[in-house]
Amino acid sequence: MSSNKNDFYQEYEVFSKRSDTAAMQHQFSLLAPNEELALVLAQENFMRREPVADIWVVRRSAVRKMNYAEKQSLPRIDNKEYRNTKGYGYLKKKWRQYEQEMLDEKEILSWGGKMKK
Amino acid sequence: MNELLSTEEKRAVIELLYQLADDDFIISYRGSEWLGLAPHIEEDVAFSSISQDTMGHAAMYYQLLEELGEKDRDYLSHARKSNERKNAVLLELVNGEGHYLHEPRYDWAFTVVRHYYYSQAKKVKIESLKQSSYPPLAAAAVKISMELHYHLMHWTVWFTQLLNAGGEAKKRMLKAIAKVEAEFEDVLSLGPLSKEIVKAQLIEEESRLLLSFHANINAVFNDLSIPYKGEFTSLSGRGRFGEHTEDLSEALNTLGEVYHSDPGAVW
Amino acid sequence: MVSKIINHSINKDEEKILSFMARIEAGEKIEADDWMPDEYRNVLIKLISMHGISEIMGALPEKEWVPKAPSLKRKLGIMAKVQDEMGHGQLLLRVTEDLIKPLGKTREDIMEDLFSGDLKFHNVFHMEAPTWGDAGLIGWLVDGAAIITQTNMLSASYGPYARALKRICAEEVFHAQHGEAIILALAEGTEAQKAMIQDSINRWWESLLMFFGPGDAKAVGTSKQDITAKYKIRSKSNEELRQDFFTKYVPRILSLGLTIPDLTMHFDDQKKEWIYRQPDWNRFKEIVRNKGPKSQERLRLRKLSYENNEWVRSALSSGSENEAG
Repeated sequence: MSSNKNDFYQEYEVFSKRSDTAAMQHQFSLLAPNEELALVLAQENFMRREPVADIWVVRRSAVRKMNYAEKQSLPRIDNKEYRNTKGYGYLKKKWRQYEQEMLDEKEILSWGGKMKK
Repeated sequence: MNELLSTEEKRAVIELLYQLADDDFIISYRGSEWLGLAPHIEEDVAFSSISQDTMGHAAMYYQLLEELGEKDRDYLSHARKSNERKNAVLLELVNGEGHYLHEPRYDWAFTVVRHYYYSQAKKVKIESLKQSSYPPLAAAAVKISMELHYHLMHWTVWFTQLLNAGGEAKKRMLKAIAKVEAEFEDVLSLGPLSKEIVKAQLIEEESRLLLSFHANINAVFNDLSIPYKGEFTSLSGRGRFGEHTEDLSEALNTLGEVYHSDPGAVW
Repeated sequence: MVSKIINHSINKDEEKILSFMARIEAGEKIEADDWMPDEYRNVLIKLISMHGISEIMGALPEKEWVPKAPSLKRKLGIMAKVQDEMGHGQLLLRVTEDLIKPLGKTREDIMEDLFSGDLKFHNVFHMEAPTWGDAGLIGWLVDGAAIITQTNMLSASYGPYARALKRICAEEVFHAQHGEAIILALAEGTEAQKAMIQDSINRWWESLLMFFGPGDAKAVGTSKQDITAKYKIRSKSNEELRQDFFTKYVPRILSLGLTIPDLTMHFDDQKKEWIYRQPDWNRFKEIVRNKGPKSQERLRLRKLSYENNEWVRSALSSGSENEAG
């Protein structure tokens, strides 16, 4: 075996997004000798049949992953209605008393467009 | 559209389309022989996409020929004899020693250099073809240029990295560059009807194409600190004039083996 | 004192195994960096490295037909299909490489194990593919058999394998249709074309039966079926998979006016199972020991391409990059 055994095979994680507005998504990993080659190999290895708007390749060693014990820190109790609109559903009834519509998520997110007068 | 072409113009369009179609078809065929044999599994997958894209481009040109009254695209790609082919000789040469089924000792350096030079030449032609007076060809050029970006990026990375690696890799690459340049005149030639092709404003004249090509390649060689001679010959023949090598005859026998077993059948 | 420490560590290992099995039972996915029993790691390495290298070796019989495919459409289709086989090999080798990494091994070791004969590849890929009918049959029935075994493992307990299989199975749908398209064109074609498929079925039938492996350990001596079931890597047995294959494909084969080269083949309504003649399992053992008709030739192709391109990998190894130019 040559002295530089395995040097060619560096691990890269591949991320891509389907459109400009989509979020980056992890696809898979590949082996390549450097990031330039990793980048030109990424699309055809994992996104041959789907639209791609952007690709990132990240050296595996640059990723700080959670171990099994650390993943135990992720679950939480289902008692945080106060963080979500779910905890404020009663407002709809309240506003009705004042003959007003509730400003719910759908309504508020529509304000970016033309507002009905 | 065809009705608007004079007889001379139509002859010129057909001639140019055969060159474009046969070029893409035969280099894609050579690429397909590499399948499963590339230096790296991930590269095998990426290279195959390039070969598929390129055969797709050939199919588009053959389709345009079919619409101009030539035979169907499978006949054009599979049944025409060697002396009827208009591809550049460089693109028909074998990938290296051996056969794709038996003891293939394919030359990755030659493959990288041939594809890199070809992609650069194809880019120069495609940019010019976008302005072609024949609208179906201009429309095809716009589509093809989309995929050509990736091909060029891919081969540029291989080309520059293997040259930058120095040592044996650089030696092999320089040898491949000499081999490719010795055949390269053919690639940017417009063949026996070049005057008619240019007169019909189908594509720019050879000397203009060549200038653009030199400019693009020269910049890359400068970055690599390698002298660029840019002296091309047609060592093994002028494919645009129907001159071809034994390599093409063998390829045609293989690629047409099933087709010829019953040309009338639906496969 | 010493014995006390040993006892303690044994208990700790047992504890680990118990909590690992609890995760498996709960349907959790195991990830590459998680602790896992050696038995689990080893069975995964064996299974997935063989699966991966079979995809790589499996590209070769079909690849023979890539340059010869009889039309532009067929050339493109089979190129895309063989490319996918290489792509599946890539996915599965990556999964294997993460499993062997703690053992200090890499892709190079996988390749060397293949060349030395330590790593086996699937029986079907040792066989000859002398006609275009074989190109169609591989896509139709060999891929059909592969789809049956692979979908059976889509919910495998090992997360990276399950994710790779999800990608693979999505592409297998295209492969199945690619194979059917070739077969249907031949079936609706000339007498010679029809004869071509029948000839392919006759030659491939025994290999297709072997594809699922022996029904039990008695046939070939060993079987890892029990271990893969215990760890929820696969759910159905070899025989159940073979029966599923018959159910899906025998009626389709017959519907095209083709015959199956086994006169005993029929569905037993009472037993609710397909009755068929067993393939020669001794021959199966020989074939997977690289003594099939094309074993050595295809290994030679892979080895030659690996050695012939060694200079490329060595040139781009980080140690030699930007070396004197």
